[in-house]
Amino acid sequence: MAIMFILRKQEISLEVEKTLMVKEALQRLGYSSETHLVVKNGELLNENEPLRDGDLVKLVPVISGG
Amino acid sequence: MPAMYCHRCERPAAIRMKQHRLQLCKEHFLDWVIQQTERSIKKLNLFTRMDRILLAVSGGKDSLSLWDVLWRLNYSVDGVYINLGIDSAEAYSASSEQYARRFAVERGLSLKVVNVSERYGKSVPEFNRQKMWGRERPCSICGMVKRHIMNQAAIEGGYNVLATAHNLDDEAALLLLNTMNWHVDLLRRQSPFLEAGGNLPRKVKPFYRFYERETAAYALLRGIAYVEEECPFSIGSTQLYYKGILNQMEAERSGYKLNFFANFLKAREILFGGQVVSDIAEGQSCPSCGQPTLTGELCSFCKMVEWKA
Repeated sequence: MAIMFILRKQEISLEVEKTLMVKEALQRLGYSSETHLVVKNGELLNENEPLRDGDLVKLVPVISGG
Repeated sequence: MPAMYCHRCERPAAIRMKQHRLQLCKEHFLDWVIQQTERSIKKLNLFTRMDRILLAVSGGKDSLSLWDVLWRLNYSVDGVYINLGIDSAEAYSASSEQYARRFAVERGLSLKVVNVSERYGKSVPEFNRQKMWGRERPCSICGMVKRHIMNQAAIEGGYNVLATAHNLDDEAALLLLNTMNWHVDLLRRQSPFLEAGGNLPRKVKPFYRFYERETAAYALLRGIAYVEEECPFSIGSTQLYYKGILNQMEAERSGYKLNFFANFLKAREILFGGQVVSDIAEGQSCPSCGQPTLTGELCSFCKMVEWKA
């Protein structure tokens, strides 16, 4: 069972038991809510929203710089 | 963990801002950003509805969100987009220009486009490859080019205010960089408000209190299409390094970035005094472009443009 994340053009799969909260998913991917927003079906998810097996989720990087 | 609800209604929260102990639904967050922007504008007297404002637009989340907010607040704001000619990877400049143009057209707003290559003969990466200017990364030249063109566009267009969409992460990272290197003169001039001086307009940063994730959330929730790709030269940049450090600190202690910059603004008044004058306004004029320069000779930008191999 897995959740699929899209980060720019990259696909990242995360194995889950049942559900995983957004902030836990970000931690497991090595990110935080300061650096990435999480969007599912066009909706912005807060850090306590549950992600489930089969979810397709977009990660939006928010830190830019040059 | 219980579900998170908006602090102002019964709807689920779309975003939580720990530094403010505030969580809001989509509708209340969008209102909050507009209200907080207006509050910053009034608190620091950044500008009024009588001013003519030129906004530097990059096609990214910050500048398009700021343009949207100022437009909704009925300020008189035109945009200037600078095409830097960074098209080696994924046509970054061409793509960001399209986002800026589309935003302006959809709202009936005025956007001036300056193409560096067409106007000055070379793109920013090409200027960087000139012998005496060549560095691995063109960021310092890019900054100089953008500053010059923004100033020139404001002067030529008769704007008395030049706005940029720097957010709190930008300002906190710059503050950390300037402090780590004790760039005292840069610390003196780091402010969300630089008073007009010489022929230069007042310079303002109305988004200086928003975290970067908040401006991104505003763009997403408002449905603003923006360029998500990063400038290919920004990878490994000093600014991203300092932002990374600050975000690690923020993750352990909410409000760290806000306190760092907000308390600096209070300390800066004590250390350097209240009013900050724009750039090097007390210098002399460049004989080529008319912008201020300390020496009265060609400014750095004109030297670069007129340099011959």
